[in-house]
Amino acid sequence: MSTSGAEPARRWDVAARARTALDGLEHLVGGLGTAILSVVALFLVLVTAVACLVGVGVVLAPTTLRVLRVVADRERARLSRWGPEILGPDPVPPRLREALRDASVRRELGWVAVHSTLGLFLGLAALTLPLNAVRDLSYPLWWKLEGDVDTTAGLGLWVVHDWTGAFATSLLGLLWLVVSLAVTPGMARLQAWPGRRLLPPDRGADLALRVAELTATRAAALDAHTAELRRIERALHDGTQNRLVAVTVLLGAARRALTRDTATAEAALDRAQGAAEQALAELRAVVRGILPPVLADRSLSDALSALAADCPVPCRVDADLPERCAASVEATAYFAVAEALTNVARHSGARQATVTLRRHDDRLRIEITDDGRGGADEGTGSGLAGIRRRVEAHDGTFVLTSPPGGPTALVVSLPCGS
Amino acid sequence: MRIVIAEDDPLLREGLALLLRAESLDVVATTGTPDEFLAAVDEHRPDTAIVDVRMPPTHSDEGITAAVEARRRHPDLAVLVLSAYVEQAFATELLSHGGARLGYLLKERVGRVQEFLDALHRVAGGGTAIDPEVVAQLLARTRPDSRLERLSPRERDVLALMAEGLGNTAIADRLVVTEGAVHKHIRNIFAKLDLAPTDRSDRRVTAVLRYLDDTRRRR
Repeated sequence: MSTSGAEPARRWDVAARARTALDGLEHLVGGLGTAILSVVALFLVLVTAVACLVGVGVVLAPTTLRVLRVVADRERARLSRWGPEILGPDPVPPRLREALRDASVRRELGWVAVHSTLGLFLGLAALTLPLNAVRDLSYPLWWKLEGDVDTTAGLGLWVVHDWTGAFATSLLGLLWLVVSLAVTPGMARLQAWPGRRLLPPDRGADLALRVAELTATRAAALDAHTAELRRIERALHDGTQNRLVAVTVLLGAARRALTRDTATAEAALDRAQGAAEQALAELRAVVRGILPPVLADRSLSDALSALAADCPVPCRVDADLPERCAASVEATAYFAVAEALTNVARHSGARQATVTLRRHDDRLRIEITDDGRGGADEGTGSGLAGIRRRVEAHDGTFVLTSPPGGPTALVVSLPCGS
Repeated sequence: MRIVIAEDDPLLREGLALLLRAESLDVVATTGTPDEFLAAVDEHRPDTAIVDVRMPPTHSDEGITAAVEARRRHPDLAVLVLSAYVEQAFATELLSHGGARLGYLLKERVGRVQEFLDALHRVAGGGTAIDPEVVAQLLARTRPDSRLERLSPRERDVLALMAEGLGNTAIADRLVVTEGAVHKHIRNIFAKLDLAPTDRSDRRVTAVLRYLDDTRRRR
């Protein structure tokens, strides 16, 4: 979808216009989806209202309001994808009386009425415009295929007798195209407007929700931080420190044996040296786990290539990163890949793995796939829960798909912060 | 002396065994988990067990639990606990049933072979060995206005060595004074801290540590 800025300005304008129109079309078609769901929800609301008049609606009402909330949440998620994020309000109050007094429920009722009518119409219209354009532009072709018979063309404005008429219809198609390009973005905005206006929570509630969300992610960040410190402490105590203690023990033994029995002293010194070397190796591993030097000195792709080379399962790294991200983001990405590859090596039984890195606008997307046996589960004490904590602490997302039998795909998306 | 070692790190385990065997001590079994350790103690009936605090499965304080259990089954067993770092709560838990035949040392003390062997023999002989680091922490954390303030610097030195589990002779050697002087210092210390005087070194350790622990808690 991206265009190069080096092209001449005028062409860029056309391309930009076409791109905005296509985006708009995409949004309108998405909106058509939620509009169709809104029709169902509106129908349910009306049935419930009628049922209330006869007195049996009370049983239906909670379900209806829940369905309405689900549909509204879909629209919130859809709008959040291409505009400012719209957070969901508190859950629908369980008691009907309170639910009907709830401001967000009321606004959702208003929204469903507008979106299921205006939104549906706009969605259908947006779909019709380009279809008309295609049909009329290619009209001479159809006319020829049908064998020169008189047909009604365009909007039924005229009857086509000859080639002139057929090409005139083509011109009409061009007009459709221009109209599509011109109005689609506006229509998309108009279709989204009721949702943007009615679906966000109250201003106060919105802020409260944001604070709650930030508090949660901040707590997760601190948790992740603590878990990380704990891991380092473990590694230092149970690994490096034990090695160094062994060194002192063996040196002590060697010193005592030096005069009595040189063979024992020699053996102890030999082991002491081995233990010291192990301590160094483990220290290197710990340091690399904290912040790999290659990440600090070179680039994320280099660091990941080094990781992949260390992985016992053959692993390909496909990284296309034009610029660097914030250091903490790169460290998190590195950590996620390291943990994921550890899992691949330990549990998956995979024959090969792939790590793909891409940067889209201000997000870094990392995908780790393997052809192993699948069935990976966050709850089983693998490092997956740790990855999620760290990623979410950076306001990122973490999605794991691992059906039994494989393949396993792990997708992490992080805001780049630069 | 017949010894069973419980240490999950293979290198350290073998290092310890090598050191002790080179000193002509009889290492009858080396084990890596609490269960193996308890089984080995039941089977070999050693005089002394050397136990690491961190053991599988969770690597927290399984070693302490195993040591306490081994002592419950065999009350005469001398236990020397080795720890990667000073955790005063471990020492307190170990000593809650008295300090006889008990030791708690930092792992790296093993490298000072003579001191380590002294501690090992002291524990096997019915005494106590507490790491100087534990004692130092207890002394340092005590309230400034406590009765400890009344002790002279020399008396504080004696108190620290006493808390480590050293007997009068050993204290006299370390401080290069006569045994009589040490005896006098100890009488003064007990008087100033309102502790019941005793000559058995393991009871002395328990009394002193309990006193220090109390002053620390009351802060």
